[in-house]
Amino acid sequence: MEIRFSGSGGQGLLLSARILAAALTEAGLTVAQSNAYEPVSRGGLSRSDLVIGEGEADYPLARRLDVLLILDEAAATVSTGLLTPASLVLCDAERVTTPPRGPFRTLCLPFTETARTLGNPRVTNIVALGALTAQASICPPEQLLAAIVAQTPARFERLNREAFAAGLAMGETEPA
Amino acid sequence: MKDTKTESAASFDVNDYLRQDRMPHFLCPGCGHGIALRALLWAVHEQGIPKDRLAVVSGIGCSGRLSAYIDANTFHTTHGRPLTFATGLKLARPDLHVIVITGDGDCLAIGGNHLIHACRRNLDITCVMLNNEIYGMTGGQVSPMTAEGRFTTTTPEGNTEPNFDACALAAAAGASFVGREVTAQVLALKTLLGQAIAHEGFSFVEVLSDCTEIYGRKNDLGASPEMMLAKKSAMRPYAYRNTVDVPFRPNALRTGVLTRTDRPEYGAAWRAMAARIRNEEH
Amino acid sequence: MTAPSLAAAPPALTGRRNLEGNEACALGAIRAGCRFFAGYPITPSSEVAETMARELPKVGGTFIQMEDEIASMGAVIGASMGGVTAMTATSGPGFSLKQENLGYACGAEIPCVIVNVMRGGPSTGMPTRPAQGDILQARWGTHGDHAVIVLAPASVGEAYSETIRAVELSETLRVPVVVLLDEVIGHLTETVDLGAVPETPGIARPFATGPREGFLPYAETADLVPPMPRPGDGYRSHCTGLTHGPDGFPTQNPAVAAAALTRTTDKLVLHRARIESWREQATEDADLLIVAIGISARAARQAVKDLRAEGLKVGLFRPVTLWPFPETPLREAVAAAGTRKVLVPEMNQGQLVLEVERVLAGRAEVAGLSRIDGETLTPDEIAGAAREALK
Repeated sequence: MEIRFSGSGGQGLLLSARILAAALTEAGLTVAQSNAYEPVSRGGLSRSDLVIGEGEADYPLARRLDVLLILDEAAATVSTGLLTPASLVLCDAERVTTPPRGPFRTLCLPFTETARTLGNPRVTNIVALGALTAQASICPPEQLLAAIVAQTPARFERLNREAFAAGLAMGETEPA
Repeated sequence: MKDTKTESAASFDVNDYLRQDRMPHFLCPGCGHGIALRALLWAVHEQGIPKDRLAVVSGIGCSGRLSAYIDANTFHTTHGRPLTFATGLKLARPDLHVIVITGDGDCLAIGGNHLIHACRRNLDITCVMLNNEIYGMTGGQVSPMTAEGRFTTTTPEGNTEPNFDACALAAAAGASFVGREVTAQVLALKTLLGQAIAHEGFSFVEVLSDCTEIYGRKNDLGASPEMMLAKKSAMRPYAYRNTVDVPFRPNALRTGVLTRTDRPEYGAAWRAMAARIRNEEH
Repeated sequence: MTAPSLAAAPPALTGRRNLEGNEACALGAIRAGCRFFAGYPITPSSEVAETMARELPKVGGTFIQMEDEIASMGAVIGASMGGVTAMTATSGPGFSLKQENLGYACGAEIPCVIVNVMRGGPSTGMPTRPAQGDILQARWGTHGDHAVIVLAPASVGEAYSETIRAVELSETLRVPVVVLLDEVIGHLTETVDLGAVPETPGIARPFATGPREGFLPYAETADLVPPMPRPGDGYRSHCTGLTHGPDGFPTQNPAVAAAALTRTTDKLVLHRARIESWREQATEDADLLIVAIGISARAARQAVKDLRAEGLKVGLFRPVTLWPFPETPLREAVAAAGTRKVLVPEMNQGQLVLEVERVLAGRAEVAGLSRIDGETLTPDEIAGAAREALK
C-alpha cells in the first residue's frame, strides 16, 4: 500500500507520515518513508510518502498511490501521474481550489475549517490523519491515536485527541 | 631556583631525545631549524614529559621533517594539516602531550584556516611555527612570511606582497598563549617553549628561523651568524616594554611571551559536558 | 589522566525501529565501537553528524565539528592514530576535499570510515537530489595507487549492518573504508529489525605487543596487516605519508618502496573472501542480468519481479562491496546461467558499467542505463530497458 501526504511546507506532513509509520510498525508492518521538500522551511511544495508492506519493500519509493492526501493547492497537480482508478484522493476543501479529477475517487473535506473550529489550524494534519484512517482502514484508530500521543508534545494532547476524533468522524460519514 | 635550572640544564643531553639511527639529519648547514629543535627538546626535558607520552605532529616542508628525528610518538602528516591531525589525536588521547611542528608556509598559507580555528578552540596543543620566510623544501618560493622586496624563485623581481604578523594573527584568533623568539637567543627560546608547553590551552610560538642556503644566498644576507644577529638586533624583547621608551626600535617585532590569557581548555570543557550528559542519562 | 577507557558500551539497540539511512550509519558505527567523529555540515549527509553529536557523548565518545572537510578528515585520522575508532561523513564536494588526507590513511594504513552520501554533481550540483556519480571517485579519488574498500548499502538495514562491517574491515585490515550511500538511501526511513543484525565477532584492531626494542611498525606479517603501535605503549614509532619501509621511515630504495606499496594492495587480495559481499536475485537462469547498487538496485529488484511475472528470465546481481568489485562472483553468475546480456542502470553517465565491461570482457553483451536529472531510476524504466534488450 502506498500513501502520499502532500501540501506546502509547515503543514506537518512529514510528522503525519511519521506518526502513521510508527503506528503501522507497531502493528507489525514494515514501512518505507521518503520525503521531498523545497529548501525553505515554510511554504514550498512538501510531501512524504509511505510504502507499506509485510516485509522490506522491493522499491521503497511510491509508484502507484493508493491514497493521496493534498492539504494545499501547491500540491494539487504534482502527483496526478501516480494515480490509478483504485486511488483515493483526499483534499482540503478550503486550501485546494483545483482538486484532481479523473477515473479515481476524490473527496474534499473541511480539514482546515475543522481545525480552526477546534481552536488551532495547526492540527489540520491530525484532522486529516483521522479522516484518512477511517477511509483507508489501514490501522485501528486507537493504535494511531497512541502514536499521535507518543510523537507530539504533551501540551497538545487534548487538542490532538479532539482533532483526530473529528477527522475520524468526518471520514466515517463519507462512504468508503 | 637558579640552581635547579642550572642542574636540569646540565642534565639535558639532546641525544637522549634524538633517534640516533636517523642521523645525520638532512638540514642544510646553518639552518636555524636545528637550533629550534634542540631548544624544543630541552624544554620538553625541563617540563619532565616522558618520551612515551610525547606526541609530535608535523606537516610538510623542512620543518615537517623534524618529527622523524625525535625519539617519541611522531606523526609526519599532510601539507598544512598537522593541527587537524593533532586536534583528533589530543581529543582522543588527552593523556598525551601533543606538540605540532610546522612552518610558515605549512601553518599560514595552506594551513591558515586550521591555525585560526585551533587558536579559537583552545585545545591543549603546543604549536611551534618555524618561520624561515620561505618554502625551502621546494626550492625557495615566496611564503606569506617573506618580507616585501625579498627575492625568491617566484618573486624574481622582489616580493610585492605584504606579510603576516603571525603572532598578532594567532592572538586575534584567540590563542591563549602566544610568543616569539629568535634562534640566536636559544636560552630564551627554550624558556619560552617550556612556558608554552606548560600552558593549559592552545599555545602558539613563532620561531624566527634562518634559511641560509636558499633565502640567505638569494638575498645576500650573509652566512648563518650574520642572519641570526641581524634578526636578533631587529627584535624588541617584550620584557623591555616597561623600561624602554617607544622610540627604541619603533618598528621592531617583539619577542618573548606576547599573550597569555586564562580561558577554558576545549578538551576539558568537552569532557565535562559529555560527563554531564551521561549522568543525566543514568 | 590515563589512556582512554572505552568501557562505556552503548545501550543495546534491539527490536523493530523506523530509522533514517543516515541515522542508521551513525548508530551502526557506534555499535561497532566508533568513539570519535569529526565532520562538517553538508547536505545530504548532515544527519550522520547530528546523530553522532547526540549519541557519542552518551558512550564516552568524542564529537567535533571541524572548520572544514579537510580538517574533519585530518582529525579522524589523528584520533585513529591515537588508537580510537573514528569516522566522518560527507557528500560529493566534501568527499573531494577529503581525498588528500584519505590518501594519507591509505598510505600510512590508518583505520577510518568515511560515509559519502551521494548527491547530484559535479560541483555544488543538486544538493538535495540523489545521484550515484561518486562510484569512481570512491575508488580512485585520492592520488597515486592505493587500496581502499567501498561498501554500497541499498537499504536502511544495510546502512546499519554495512557500517558495522565497514568499521570491522577498517579496524582489522588497517584500511580506510568508504560507505557509499545515495541521497535516497541516506534520507529514506525504513523499518529495521536491529535485533536481527548479528553480533559482530571481535572488531579489534591489531595493536602492537611484544618487545619495544627493534620494533618494526610496518613489518610484513603473514596476514599482511602489521600490528599498529599505540602512542603511550612505549613503541615511539614514526608514521608518515612518505613512502616508507618496514621501520616506518621514508625510503626511496626501489625494492623497499615496491614491497611496501604492493603489500597494501596485496592485503586486500589476501583477505578478499572476507571483504567481498554481493546479493543475487533470480540469477540462476537469467538471460539478462541487471547489475546495480543503492536505490537503482532497489528499483531493479522490483523490475526483476515484474519481468519474471511476464515470463522474462531476468535476474539481479548487486555488489554490496563495490570495491574491490566482486569480479569472480559476477563472472560465475553469468557463466552458470549462460547470461547473454547485462544491463547496468546507474544514476550517472556510466561508471559502474565500465567495471562490469572490464570484468565480463566479452562474456556477455553489456549495456548501460543512465539517469542524471536528479530523479531516481524507476522500476518501470529499468523493466522497459530490459524488455528492449531482450527483444
